[in-house]
Amino acid sequence: MPRPWWEHALRLDRRLLFVAVALAVAIPVLFPLGLPVVPGKESRDFFAALEQLQPGDVILFSFDYEADSRAEMDPMTRVVWRYCLGRGVRIIALTNYAGGPGVAEPYIELATKQLGQVYGEDVVFLGYNPDYSGTILRLGESFRATFPADQYGRSTADFPLLQRANRYADTKLIVTIAASSLAEYWTIWAHGKYDAKVIAGATAIQAVHLYPYYQTGQVSGFLGGLKGAAELERLAELPGDATRGMDSQTTGHAVIVLFILLGNVAYFAQRRRKS
Amino acid sequence: MKTTLPILFGFLVGLVMFVQYFFSHPSLQRTYNLVLDWKQIVFGMMLILGTIGLVRHHGVRIQRRERAWGYSAVTLSGLVAVILAGVGGGVQGGPYAWSFENVQSPMQSTIFALLAFYVASAAYRAFRARTVHATLLLCAGIIVMLGRVSIGEMLGFSVGDARYSLAGLSGWILDVPNLAAKRGILIGVGLGVSATALKILLGIERSYLGKGD
Repeated sequence: MPRPWWEHALRLDRRLLFVAVALAVAIPVLFPLGLPVVPGKESRDFFAALEQLQPGDVILFSFDYEADSRAEMDPMTRVVWRYCLGRGVRIIALTNYAGGPGVAEPYIELATKQLGQVYGEDVVFLGYNPDYSGTILRLGESFRATFPADQYGRSTADFPLLQRANRYADTKLIVTIAASSLAEYWTIWAHGKYDAKVIAGATAIQAVHLYPYYQTGQVSGFLGGLKGAAELERLAELPGDATRGMDSQTTGHAVIVLFILLGNVAYFAQRRRKS
Repeated sequence: MKTTLPILFGFLVGLVMFVQYFFSHPSLQRTYNLVLDWKQIVFGMMLILGTIGLVRHHGVRIQRRERAWGYSAVTLSGLVAVILAGVGGGVQGGPYAWSFENVQSPMQSTIFALLAFYVASAAYRAFRARTVHATLLLCAGIIVMLGRVSIGEMLGFSVGDARYSLAGLSGWILDVPNLAAKRGILIGVGLGVSATALKILLGIERSYLGKGD
């Protein structure tokens, strides 16, 4: 006697599921669907904080992610750097991850080699400090004391940018692009103790933790995952990987939801039969 | 003595860090900065200890030819190669940057991307509407999954100027029930951290000293 359909569905070979997800993600890369991206309030507030910056203003940018989450985080970083440097905003960058310098390096090159910014005057990369809590708190007192030398071993006291801006109070904004709880820590310590204005980019998983801080105004705006990055690309009119990736993410999610529904229909069919 | 001195030291440092938060006397400020500098130095030392531990652990595995010792050899080779690349060619460009862009970055991205397949498989097998609670979780999960992508905006309707969509419903779930639960957890964690800090300061909580006396 042939097995009923729901038994086939409930014992589905996981490799079929893997192939379906792979196709759902890959096909829109080859044949873009051009699905709409509508910016949410959190992303609009994130962008508004960038829009308020004036030429000559200084921001602190933290690369709080490593290579594993570049697909989600790099599009956010790209837009923030291009938008800010294009408007004459100065960037002091650092990272709280050991793998962060490798992630940051292409943006230092983007600034100095492609956009013609002067290292030390328009942009500085402080590098990595292993103690994130001590680093965030100490930066509120002195950037130069926290990082006596930059990533490349040069004295930070010699940089005109760090002579101008040496603590949070000298900067207009802190931007953290974080794949972990670091966005929360920047909020708690840099905003909570030093009243610095913080905006954050987070992975889709981490973004849910930022809602309490956003509602109270401790985080002025945030981006959640690839969707947040695509919304920022749209707001800044700098379309890129996130906008293209949203098609794949949409079809990927849709396929997973269809499989979940199929599993539940099969489950109820089996239960009905047994009862 | 081995117990009393660390407790006394912890109490004094903790007290200074607590008091400085409420007063801005220059001497307290200097002490605060000094403690933060020491803290960063201690963390730097931890990195060195971690590296020594890694080398010893894998070195012993290779020496004893333990099962899968080849992986230990690969780990140590990677460590030595990256250190040599960084020290020899600098961290800007050269072999160090090349290995990050062409070895570390693709490997880490690949492992992270594999999660999508495992999540899909796990969701298919485990996400069942077996009980009321499971059904609520399932519905919320599906709404957020679809609401957080472009299709969420398309699945909706307009009444006058107002737009009602799956993306809006997803936003409400994150903004109201999720926020309420998260805030409750945060307040609980905050109270717990404060209580534990107080116990450490007063020497009631001593587990951080270890078992020995």
